[in-house]
Amino acid sequence: MTTRIEEIDGKLVATLIGELDTAAAPETEKALQPLLDSKGKDIVIDCTELEYIASSGLRLLLGILKQAQEVGSRVVLKNVNDVVKDVLDLTGFVALFDIE
Amino acid sequence: MYLCRMKIAKRNWLFRLGIVVIAALLMELISFIQYSQTRKIMEEEMNIRSRVVLGAMADRIDHVMELTEATMRENLLYLRRSLDQPDSASRALVYLIDDNPHVVGGSLAFIPAYYPSKGRLFEPYATKENGRIVLRQIAGDKHDYTRTDFYIDALSSGKADWSDPYSYTDGQTRNLISYSCPVTDASGRIVAVCSLDMDLSWMGDTLNASQRFPSSFGLLLTKDFRLVAGPSPDKISPALVEQALGLLRSGMEKSADGDVFLRTLSLRRDAYWQIAQVYKSDEVYAHIRQIRSRQVILLLLGLAVLFFMIDRFARSERKLRSASEEQARISGELAVARDIQRKMLPTDFPEGVFGRLEPALEVGGDIYDFYIRDGKLFFCIGDVSGKGVPAAMVMAVTHSLFRMVSRKEESPSHILAALNGQLCNSRESNMFVTCFVGCLDLYTGKLRFANAGHDKPFVLSAGVSLLPAKANLPLGVFPQTAFVEQALELSPGDTLFLYTDGLTEAKNLSRKALGRDRVQACLAAGLSSGANSAPQLVQAMAQTVRAFVGEAPQSDDMALLAIRYLPGDLLREHIVLTNQKSEVSRLSDFVKAFFERLSLDRKQASGLRLALEETVVNVINYAYPAGEAGDVAVYADSNHREVRFTVVDSGFPFDPTAVLSADTTLDAKNRPIGGLGIYLTRKLVDSVSYCRKNNQNVLTLTKSIS
Repeated sequence: MTTRIEEIDGKLVATLIGELDTAAAPETEKALQPLLDSKGKDIVIDCTELEYIASSGLRLLLGILKQAQEVGSRVVLKNVNDVVKDVLDLTGFVALFDIE
Repeated sequence: MYLCRMKIAKRNWLFRLGIVVIAALLMELISFIQYSQTRKIMEEEMNIRSRVVLGAMADRIDHVMELTEATMRENLLYLRRSLDQPDSASRALVYLIDDNPHVVGGSLAFIPAYYPSKGRLFEPYATKENGRIVLRQIAGDKHDYTRTDFYIDALSSGKADWSDPYSYTDGQTRNLISYSCPVTDASGRIVAVCSLDMDLSWMGDTLNASQRFPSSFGLLLTKDFRLVAGPSPDKISPALVEQALGLLRSGMEKSADGDVFLRTLSLRRDAYWQIAQVYKSDEVYAHIRQIRSRQVILLLLGLAVLFFMIDRFARSERKLRSASEEQARISGELAVARDIQRKMLPTDFPEGVFGRLEPALEVGGDIYDFYIRDGKLFFCIGDVSGKGVPAAMVMAVTHSLFRMVSRKEESPSHILAALNGQLCNSRESNMFVTCFVGCLDLYTGKLRFANAGHDKPFVLSAGVSLLPAKANLPLGVFPQTAFVEQALELSPGDTLFLYTDGLTEAKNLSRKALGRDRVQACLAAGLSSGANSAPQLVQAMAQTVRAFVGEAPQSDDMALLAIRYLPGDLLREHIVLTNQKSEVSRLSDFVKAFFERLSLDRKQASGLRLALEETVVNVINYAYPAGEAGDVAVYADSNHREVRFTVVDSGFPFDPTAVLSADTTLDAKNRPIGGLGIYLTRKLVDSVSYCRKNNQNVLTLTKSIS
């Protein structure tokens, strides 16, 4: 699991590459720490190369969303593949995030 | 409703009365025709009889008259020779009268002055008085016989002849007729007329001597219907005689009211006479009248009986109809019950399983059932004591209890114990149930079973043998029964053949039971011939029973169930993890490799992987006390139709299936961070089931794959 964070056009863009399973969650959580201090910037999570997500991964995303909503930022999930989309659908997360 | 019934009852009553009346009219008509016919026949008979009677009477009268004429003829010569003296002539007359008992008197009327000594008129007259003959000379001024018809006629005709009847009074009045014959002397000159008087009363007596009926009588008449002789007045009333004469004179044979009828006959020797026989109808036909009146009484009695019978018949028919309606209703309901019972049992047989139920009556107390859960075949076969509806009801209860209990429990002995508890609680009518429960792991071939007093099943492997199942007590007998659970490893192709005692105890016409040996022989034949698929074995067994019992009625319910272990192409892997999250990577590698071998597509693989991961993570997180090391064993099995994961740990007893579902409709702010794992697992597989076995938590996930 590889995680990368960049700032592009005033938005924080996090790119998730690989499988976000329970084993990968703690290290990913650490890597995504900067997103918890977004200072009002919108957050884009690029899921183009995210192949798998477990509930521990969903928990990370929910934590980021809660933090962002408190400071009025948007969280956009970008390029979600069908496998991950199914999980978002099942859990009702599609209604929480902006999905592009 | 009641009114309506009253109306119907009234209509029925009228209908019955109508039938009886018509029957009465018909019978009366028949009786009347019979009576008329009989009467007609009798009338003809009477005519014949009358002719015979009249003929006999005529013969007698003719005979008597002929005798008188003969007497006259025979004595005429002697009389002629005695003419020379008046005294000798008188003696000849006396002799002549004495010669014939029917002659009561007679006279010799001589031509005037024949014996000068006797004056102009001389007529000696002899009569029978008290057995003696008295001779008198009766001619005189008062009695000038030369002016009487008999004298004049005899003299003028010169022939003998009979006179009309007449009355003669000489002390007593008599009805007489006379036979007068001219008497000639030697020169041929008529010198006297000899008359013989016959009293007509004997004729009447003769005619009425032997009448058949008390009021019938005979009459002797002249041609112009003057009465000559009849019955004595103390026997027959003169009015009746007068009525008969009236009819005769008016030429009728029957009175207007038909009460009196008569027959007449002219005498053969002299058409001057006729005789009549008079009858009274009521006497003649009294016999058939009596028959008819008896017939009417019998008829009325018969009709009463008929009415009674119709009434009884109608009643019993009504009873029968309502009974047959009731019967139809019950058999209709039984047909529905039979249908319901059949539908309760599974008829959609997976490969390797086949069952058959044959109730002796419409519904029965036998049961078989099976279903697959968590890659395991749960099955049972049972027999409720008794048969028919009560047995069927207990069977239905047992069946639904089995389904209910085995949903949560996979140990056959526990299932039986739970069933036993329920059945003991609700036991009615002293019914008990023998039952065999098994659980066959379709991936391992491991069979666990427990028996509650049921017949031991057969196992078909290399040969046919009885499964050494411990009997235990039947269900519903004793609440605390402990059921021993046993196990057996089946090899692929092995078959379990279960049955109820309706099979082994099926009896033929000579009351011989099929027996276990014949069952075993049938199975052995199937095994050796290769016709040993589950359906083949069951059908062959059904045929064997049919052939054995022949025409004998099925005495007991019969259930057959064959289960052949056909695991197919199995893929089985397992891994043991420790309770650390980092172990999830090993799990991920393990399942990915497993799915690769199954050639599962990415989407199905991801879903199944997620379900398993969430389950395992749950165990890693919560099964063991914090800081304590523990194992999590994961078994992955597939037969290429289904994937089964079994997760086993030795931690706290915990049933994740009992945890409430996460609410996926809450917004981000109100969403709890955790609680999604079990929810996801449930959503991603077909079934999740938990059981605690050997102090271990066993969670099974199954999902069919394509």
